[in-house]
Amino acid sequence: MRPEEISKKTEQLVTINTEDLPPLPYPYENYEETPITPLKEEQKKKWEHSLDGVSALTLPKPETPEEEERLVKAFLSGLGKLMTKENNWTFLQPLMLSMEYCAKCQTCADACPAFEMSGRKDIYRPTFRADVVRKIAKKYLSKGGNILAHFRGHDIDLNWDTVARLAELSYRCTLCRRCASVCPVGVDNGLMNHELRKIFSQEMGIAGPEIHEKGSVKHLKFGSSTGMTTAAVADIIEYLEDDIEEKTGKKIKIPLNKKGAEILLIHNAGEFMAWPENPMAFAILFDAAGIDYTLSTELAGYDAVNYGLWYDDVQFARVALKHLEIARDLGVKKIVIGECGHAHKALSVIADRLLPGAQMIPRESSYTLLNEIVKSGKIKFDPSKNDFPVTLHDPCNVVRLMGIVKPQREVLNAIFPPGRFREMEPHGVENYCCGGGSGFAIMSSGNFPDWKRLVSGRKKLSQILNAFQGEMDPSIRKMVCAPCSNCKGQIRDMLESYEVFEKTGIWYTGMVELMVNAMVDQKKPFLEWPGDEDDDD
Amino acid sequence: MGFLQILTYLSGLVFVIGFAAKLLKYATMPMHVRWELYPIPHEGKEWGGSFYEEIDHWKKTRHIDHMAQYRFMVPEILFIRALHEDNRSLWYWSFPFHMGLYLCIGGLVFLGLGALVQIFGMAPENSALASLLQSLTTVFAVPGYILGTIGVVGLTVKRMTDSGLADVSAGIDFMNLIWLGLLFVTGFIVWLQDPGFLVSRAFFQSLITFGPMTEPMGAIHVVNLLLFIGFWAYFPFTHMTHMVSKYFMWDKVKWDDDPNKGDAGMDSKIKKYLAYPVTWAAAHVGAEGGKKNWADVATSNPWENKDQK
Repeated sequence: MRPEEISKKTEQLVTINTEDLPPLPYPYENYEETPITPLKEEQKKKWEHSLDGVSALTLPKPETPEEEERLVKAFLSGLGKLMTKENNWTFLQPLMLSMEYCAKCQTCADACPAFEMSGRKDIYRPTFRADVVRKIAKKYLSKGGNILAHFRGHDIDLNWDTVARLAELSYRCTLCRRCASVCPVGVDNGLMNHELRKIFSQEMGIAGPEIHEKGSVKHLKFGSSTGMTTAAVADIIEYLEDDIEEKTGKKIKIPLNKKGAEILLIHNAGEFMAWPENPMAFAILFDAAGIDYTLSTELAGYDAVNYGLWYDDVQFARVALKHLEIARDLGVKKIVIGECGHAHKALSVIADRLLPGAQMIPRESSYTLLNEIVKSGKIKFDPSKNDFPVTLHDPCNVVRLMGIVKPQREVLNAIFPPGRFREMEPHGVENYCCGGGSGFAIMSSGNFPDWKRLVSGRKKLSQILNAFQGEMDPSIRKMVCAPCSNCKGQIRDMLESYEVFEKTGIWYTGMVELMVNAMVDQKKPFLEWPGDEDDDD
Repeated sequence: MGFLQILTYLSGLVFVIGFAAKLLKYATMPMHVRWELYPIPHEGKEWGGSFYEEIDHWKKTRHIDHMAQYRFMVPEILFIRALHEDNRSLWYWSFPFHMGLYLCIGGLVFLGLGALVQIFGMAPENSALASLLQSLTTVFAVPGYILGTIGVVGLTVKRMTDSGLADVSAGIDFMNLIWLGLLFVTGFIVWLQDPGFLVSRAFFQSLITFGPMTEPMGAIHVVNLLLFIGFWAYFPFTHMTHMVSKYFMWDKVKWDDDPNKGDAGMDSKIKKYLAYPVTWAAAHVGAEGGKKNWADVATSNPWENKDQK
């Protein structure tokens, strides 16, 4: 399909058929997939869905031709602003390079898991949406854009169908940037998608509801994208202390708002709600290693997420500056970021040039610090407590986008018996996204969860299954270590949808939970497998 | 001085101005936020690691491995390693095409040097140096024509027959390939007619001395020259200048991992950018049509202290 066809007047441009999808590995090679649930008629009337029959944004259809025209003009205005230094100094140079230099060689397509796993649907090629944007810019925003437009390859019609489909299409890429890593000329079609989302959000007020209204807005309003308020977090931490005592027999006081502590530790607040054993494990390890740290209960101080990273520079900057301000007020020497991939990238890397250097606080990955704890010998680990096969998922934001590759491997090799750790292929900086990147793990509007299950998460599920081939007997318990909240959310959803634990014995957890499980002075297993509680009963 | 010489000077001028303008455009853009991608060769970690793997990394002196960067860049530039690794079927045609171009450029350089020494009285028939330059011109240019032609034919066929490529190809893409193909083919025919590049060297000599042509130029040679002159002037305005993007996109974006440690230059840029007015129109931005700057909008929190529970 040529990119120009995006403006075609048709009910639906592309349909995802389950029979087109690449098969999954054993024991799923003949698995009967559940197709994408079609939107109901009333939803179809209300929401834009003409791209692929999927609505991630629940984007309302314009009610009048005038409204359509206004929205198309707003899109064009936003695209123009994206190419000015005043409005987009943050990404102007990389954007303009990617706008101008694509050689259309399609090398990026084979690197993209969404394209591959969709059954190679053209609309999901990294170049497809980027080319549409390039063509619109050339035809409508450059001088003489109409001259020989067809011959020059940018004769595209800009209408509401194009804009609406682009809006949805910008939420069919996980921003894993595998495409950029293989481009022979350095073009970054992942960045093009990031910038496209910015037009919709910053100019038109259109974004995934879970990452804007229920995401960064809630974060700035209540203190956390989970809706957890500053008062509630202190209560939850008290519960965690009780749970720690119950699980370990240790009375550990989790330090809160401690001025002058060495470290401000920031978790993804989703951990407190969905995986409380993760912040508990951090508390146990930091206590045992004698680390001088604190958590914060200030607004946004206990939630490391920064959803702006995916769609909106202004929201991004607001949250990042809050994090730095809290650390400065506490007088800590560094911020350590818990097991949250995008928080790593947001605060350590992207936010690095938001303030003059003297106002920056050093940021460090928890992976690095945890590895240091292991190497220091302050905590004794008994690898035989983790005597089961384990594989490691590399969160894109931490690994390909930050270059933290070795520490997590050194930790796993220290806390597992020899031969128990196996790599996925490919891994490290060449890894595949979990399928929940760029906000997908939390996005659940419309029938989008079906698309995530069938398309964006399919490659990772294949990798996980492949990592354990030959030991698929469900009685052999196997673990995926996924040290990132977002990835854990996506992997949990995939494992549950496909009943992977029941069929193969594969489950998932974070890295710190595995560390605590292997601690010599941890009497009871810290790790919980599905069905463990039932066994206790 | 003849018409062809004047056209060549003009084409060269357009090339220089166009290329410089392009370089200047990207070089003067604001410093962007970091958006690097690993592996970064100068980190010197073959597994793709970075300084973030070290505890308290900001307290340590960073080691930049320049040699590792060169070890990466040379095969990348000469052999298009990225394509070899990730798109082999295209590499089979793209590599001869690019190598053909490199060799032809090399041949052109030796042709120019040959013309220069000829001005000082050293001709191939009476000078070992001139004779060597003449041989090098042939050794570079002729395989260049052949490889370039193979590449052009292969790329054109592939672009027409591979649906993924055909869908994104436009008339201009085929025109560019055919233009270069004609340049290679006519160059080869010129060489067949004039194996010692006598006429070409004489033309080069006339360009350097602003003097008259001493050798008559055949029709096919004129066509070859016009194709070259035209392409030279056209080139800076196309995406084919991707050596520019490669430098900026790789060195200044993908590999730009310079941490912000309070460098005065970086600080002054950041301060300047934070004062830029913002005109994004979405309500939550609160830009007020450019009345607010980046510092204003980034430090505001429209939702703070509202509905706090």
